[in-house]
Amino acid sequence: MNGAALAELLRDPSEIARRCREDDGVREIAVVSLIAITVGSLAFGGVLGSFRAETQILWSGIKLPLAMLGTLALCVPALHGVACALGRPRPMRATATLVLAATARAALVLLAASPVLWLAIDSGLGYHASALLAAIVYGLSGLAALGIVLRGLGAGPGWLTTAVAFVAIFLAVGGQVAWNFRPFLGRPSQSSIPFVRAPEGSFADALVTSAQSAAGIYRHSDLSDSDVDDDAWDTERSRATDPYGRRAP
Amino acid sequence: MTDNIIVSWSSLFLEDDDPRTASLARRLAIAVGLCALYGVAMGVCAGGPSILVHAAGVPAAVLAVLGLGVPALYIVLTIFGAPLVPARLAEATVGAFASTGIVLAGLAPAVALFVVTSGAPSTAAIASGTGLALGGAIGLRRFLRSLHEQLADADSATRAVSLIACAGFSLFAVALAARVSIGTLPLLGGGS
Repeated sequence: MNGAALAELLRDPSEIARRCREDDGVREIAVVSLIAITVGSLAFGGVLGSFRAETQILWSGIKLPLAMLGTLALCVPALHGVACALGRPRPMRATATLVLAATARAALVLLAASPVLWLAIDSGLGYHASALLAAIVYGLSGLAALGIVLRGLGAGPGWLTTAVAFVAIFLAVGGQVAWNFRPFLGRPSQSSIPFVRAPEGSFADALVTSAQSAAGIYRHSDLSDSDVDDDAWDTERSRATDPYGRRAP
Repeated sequence: MTDNIIVSWSSLFLEDDDPRTASLARRLAIAVGLCALYGVAMGVCAGGPSILVHAAGVPAAVLAVLGLGVPALYIVLTIFGAPLVPARLAEATVGAFASTGIVLAGLAPAVALFVVTSGAPSTAAIASGTGLALGGAIGLRRFLRSLHEQLADADSATRAVSLIACAGFSLFAVALAARVSIGTLPLLGGGS
């Protein structure tokens, strides 16, 4: 791996963004980014899987890079189309490299956070707290990526609209891809460790359900049998709890 | 620092200002094809004829707006003395369609993901409807900007009337596109 390009990814997002915009050495950026994404997400995925341990470490280590690269593959055409239509008609390879570089920066942040998350999990952090910590790390890595994307769009009319569209598309697609690859943490008392869970709703449905649960609104129809079976560690849980094991009032 | 100018297919397609009919027809055909790609993505879950129905329905909604709305807008604006040139209006129309097409084609893989993996049909419908709305909004934005440039030399009264007419056109465009989409696209509840 080219160390200079790697350091530039971390230290100088403006220069990386300029090189992507101007088609200057994008091949080198793309190669380094792909390696960084694979290594960073593989390590973070493995740490996530260490919560459940056993095969889950391997599965999560494989699935997180797949989820990140899958999201990129699905998002790049959309981001390219939006950028072109909003006054930034650059070649698709420029958009692809920009998004790759941004994701690589995020993956490097995930890599840096992996030891912290591992230590927390190894020290006995609970399921929900681990999920929350992982979500916070994801958020931080997303902010690191945003630095490159915003600079890479370049100044000019429609900058804000393009940036908002980029973030919205990336969040929606990334959320759905990750949803299809779950579980990443894996629940401790599950009798088996599946590579992916059976298809069930969507990321958006889960967000709605979670928001309703947080507001104290529980629907019994939200609780499928698989929800109950999957939560075997919570043997006292009844049908009057939400899909995440919180007891309804 | 200024960016180096990199010519891409996208920029040639979107910013082609060749006013000749053949060039406009070529861009229109490409835009129809790009919109149809989005329709294919919407239809992949049901498969078979559904793919064809959606592939035809998505460009049909955009064509309906452009075919019915733009001539009406031209007549209204011309009555009020707006200095519109039909050739430039046609160019603006095709440019807007091209913008919509390139956005929808780009969103097609993401929409296919939602259509195939969403458990509830309503989620797939909302995701694909949001994509259609985004593509339509970007096309409409480009059309209105282009119209605004053409009216730059008009007097203030004409520009004020044009503003009202454009607002009315926008409402009509949204309503008609929604009507055609919901009426023809099975994923959005149409075609039954």
